[in-house]
Amino acid sequence: MFDFNVCIAGAAGDGVKEAGEILAKLLSNMGYRVFVYQEYESLIRGGHNASVVRCSEKEIHSHRYYYDAMICLEDYVFEIHRKRLRGFLIHDSEFECDFEPSFSVPMLEIVKEAGMPNLYRNAAALGALCYIAGLDVGDLAKIFVAEYGDKAETDTEIASKAYEYAKENCRRVLTVLRISEGDGKVVSGSEAIALGMVRAGLKCYYAYPMTPASSILHCLAKKKFALAVQPENEIAAIMMAIGSAFAGKKSAVGTSGGGFALMTESVSLAGMAEVPVLIVLAQRSGPSTGMATFTAQEDLHFALNPAHGEFPLIVASPLTASDAFSLSATLLNMAWQFQTPAILLTEKHLTESYESAEFDENEVKVNELDIFDSETDGIFPRYEITENGISRYAVPPAIVKANSNEHDEFGITTDDAEMATRMYAKRMRKEDLIRAEAEKLEPYVCIRNGSDTVVTWGSNYGAVVEAAEELGYSVAGIRFLRPLILPEFKGEVVCVECNYRGLLAGMVEKEIGKKVSRILRWDGRPFTPEEIREALSKGR
Amino acid sequence: MGLRTEVKVSWCPGCGNFGILRAFEKAAGRLVDEGIPRGRIAVASGIGCHGKISDYLRLPSFHVIHGRVPPFLTGLKLANPDLIAVGFVGDGDGLNEGVEHLIHAARRNTDITIFLHNNNVFGLTTGQVTATSPKGAKGKSTPYGNPENPLNPCNLMLVSGATFVARAFAGKHSQLVEIMYSAIKHRGFSFVEILQPCVSFNDFWKIREEIHDIREAESVENALRLCRDKTACGIFYRKEEETFEDAVHRINK
Ligand SMILES: Cc1ncc(C[n+]2csc(CCOP(=O)(O)OP(=O)(O)O)c2C)c(N)n1
Ligand code: SF4
Ligand SMILES: [Mg+2]
Repeated sequence: MFDFNVCIAGAAGDGVKEAGEILAKLLSNMGYRVFVYQEYESLIRGGHNASVVRCSEKEIHSHRYYYDAMICLEDYVFEIHRKRLRGFLIHDSEFECDFEPSFSVPMLEIVKEAGMPNLYRNAAALGALCYIAGLDVGDLAKIFVAEYGDKAETDTEIASKAYEYAKENCRRVLTVLRISEGDGKVVSGSEAIALGMVRAGLKCYYAYPMTPASSILHCLAKKKFALAVQPENEIAAIMMAIGSAFAGKKSAVGTSGGGFALMTESVSLAGMAEVPVLIVLAQRSGPSTGMATFTAQEDLHFALNPAHGEFPLIVASPLTASDAFSLSATLLNMAWQFQTPAILLTEKHLTESYESAEFDENEVKVNELDIFDSETDGIFPRYEITENGISRYAVPPAIVKANSNEHDEFGITTDDAEMATRMYAKRMRKEDLIRAEAEKLEPYVCIRNGSDTVVTWGSNYGAVVEAAEELGYSVAGIRFLRPLILPEFKGEVVCVECNYRGLLAGMVEKEIGKKVSRILRWDGRPFTPEEIREALSKGR
Repeated sequence: MGLRTEVKVSWCPGCGNFGILRAFEKAAGRLVDEGIPRGRIAVASGIGCHGKISDYLRLPSFHVIHGRVPPFLTGLKLANPDLIAVGFVGDGDGLNEGVEHLIHAARRNTDITIFLHNNNVFGLTTGQVTATSPKGAKGKSTPYGNPENPLNPCNLMLVSGATFVARAFAGKHSQLVEIMYSAIKHRGFSFVEILQPCVSFNDFWKIREEIHDIREAESVENALRLCRDKTACGIFYRKEEETFEDAVHRINK
C-alpha cells in the first residue's frame, strides 16, 4: 500500500507551514488520505520549523517517524532530522548537505530572479519535489490558485522554474500516482472544533490568545460563523461566555493550561448557577509557560477537578479531527442539556495538525432546548428541585435570578441547612443523567485485535492504532474522561500518554484494580507509530 | 407589583446601601413607567455587602463572583442587545479584585451601566482597606496605617474612555435618582461612583455637609479637574460614541 512521508524543514519565516499545507492539499486532491504535523518554536523569525506531510491509501491519523523524503531550506536544520531520513533529500544550492541521495536546487536564485523575497523558496521547493516525486506540477498550480487566488501566479511561476531545473539536473525517484479525484480537503483540528461548535449552535466565542487554542479563535473570527471576541483576559472570556449563556446564547471559550487556571473560579460559578458553557482546553507542554508550541497531556487531573466545590462537569477528549467535530458539538449540546460546564480536553497535536476529515453533519443532532423566555410577573423558579436534578432554563425577559451563593428555588441567596442540602443534591443528581447519556454516546472507541489492549486518549490515537494493529494489540481510545467509562479488558493493559506519571493509566488502574504499564513521553513531541511499536515490542 | 422582592434586607441599619437601593428602585421604576418591561432590566452584582442588592430586586439578576460584573454584563449585552445591563460593584470588588475589567469595559464603550458602591472599605470581610482608602487609613489589615495611595475612580474611568462619568452621594436621594436614571439612559459605558457610608467600618455620613454640585464639563480634561475634588457630585462628563455591541454586530454582519 502506498504511503509517503515527507518532511519540509526550515526557519520560521520560510513558509514551511504553508508549504506543508499546500502539499497536503495536493496529495488529498490526488485521492490520498493525508496527515500533517506542524512543529515550530515560539518565535516569529529564524529558529526551526518543520512540517511533516504524510499521505496514504489507507486511513491515517498520524505522521511517521521516518521520512521518505525531506526538503531542507536552511543548512542548520538538517542535523535535527538526519537520523529520520530514509529516502532522498532536496536542499537549496545555497548550502551543502552531506547526504545521499540528495538533490541541490538553486531555490534562492530562482526566487531572486523572479524578484521575490526569500519566503517564496517554499514554492521552488514544491516545484522541485513535483519533478523528483513524479507529481503533476499543473495540479500544484491549481492548488496555488485555490489557496492564493490572484496572487498564485508568482508561486506557480517559481514552482515551474524549479520543476524545469529539476527535470534538467535531477532524477525522478518515484511517481506518486493519482488514485482518485480527491476533494483536496484538509482541515486542522481547530477548524474541526470550530465547525463542530457551530454545528451545535454556537453563537458567541470568547478567547484570549494562547497557543495552541488561538487557531480556533482565528477560524471563527475569519468565517464569522459566530461572534468571536478577544477580551482582556481569560477571566473576562469565561465571564462573558456566562453572561451570553445567561441571556440564552450558546457560548464557548478556548484556552490552554495557564489561561484555564485563570478561568477556574468561573467554572465553579457556572456549576453553581447551572449555566452551560463549553471550555476548549487545548493542552501544551507545562508546567507554567513550558514549551509553548509543543504538545502534551499533562492537564488531565486539572481538567477533571479544576475548581472549588463539587458540581457536575463533563470532560471528553477527541481522538481525531473528525472526532473533534462531533465531540465539540456533542459537548456543547450536553452542556445545555445538563446546564453545567463541559470541557473539550485536547492538545496541540490535534488542534494544529491537519488531516483528511469528513464531517457528518447529520451524525450530530442538535438538541431542541426548552427555554422559557417570556416576561413574568413573579420570579421564575429557575432552580426548582426536580427528581432528575434538571430545572427549566429561563432567560430574560423572564425574571430569572442566578447566584454564586447557595440559593433557593428562585435563585435567592440562602444558608438554610435544609435548602442547602436539597439544592446541592439536586445539582449533583445531574451526574447520573450525564453518565447515562455518555454511555449512549460512544464513550470510547474499541478496536479488537488481540487479548492485550493499548489504552490511550487524545491525538495519540492515530499512532497507537497503527502500531497496535501491526503487533496484534487491541486498542481503546477513551473519549469521555468525566464520567470515565472503560471497556472490559481481558489481558494486559498498556497506556500511551504524553505526560510523566501516566495520568489516565493511574485512573484505569483504580477502575480495574490491576497494574497498567505505561508508554510515556513529556518532551513536547507527539508519538509516531514507529516509536509506539518499538516501546510495545520492548515490553514483550 | 413593585421592584422589591420580599427578601429581608440584611444590611446594617443606617448603611448607605439603603439609599442606593431606594434610588435605583425609583430610577428603574421610571423606566418601567415609560413602558420598558421589567424583565428587560438585567442586573448583576459583585461580592460584598453591595452585592446583596440582586436579591432585593424583582428583576432578572445574577449575583456573580468577586470583581467580575463588567465582563458578565458585556457577554449578556452582546448576546441580547435588547437588555438594559446594570451592574452594582463594590470598591474592593470593582477596583481591587477586578479593576482590569472596568478599564476595558470603559475603553470599549460597552453599553452597560456600573454603579460603584464606594465605602472605601471591604465591608463584608469586616473592614480592610481598599483601592480607594486614603493613605494612612487604619483597617484590620493595616492597624498601623495604610501604606498605599488611593485611586480616584472617576478619574480612572475618564482616562479609560468612559462616555458617562458621574459621582453621587447615597444620602442625596433626588440627585442620585436623576444621575442613576441618566446613566442607564446613556447609550455606552456609564459609570457612577456613589459615596456610600458604611456605618460599621467607615462611617462618613458627616460629609453630607461638604457635598456640592458641579456643572457638566465639556472636555475630559475639565472633567478630570472637577472630579479631583472628592466631594464634588454630579455628571462630570458624557458623550455619544458607537458602542462595543454595535461595532461588533456591524463588523460581523
Ligand atoms: C475571589 C474572592 N476573594 C475574596 C473574597 C472575599 N470577599 C468577600 S467580600 C470582599 C470584599 C468586598 O469589598 P467591597 O467590594 O468593597 O464590598 P462591600 O462589602 O464594601 O460592599 C472580599 C474580599 C471572595 N468572595 N472572592
Ligand atoms: S458593613 Fe458597612 S457596607 Fe456592609 S452592610 Fe454594614 S454598613 Fe453597610
Ligand atoms: Mg466596599
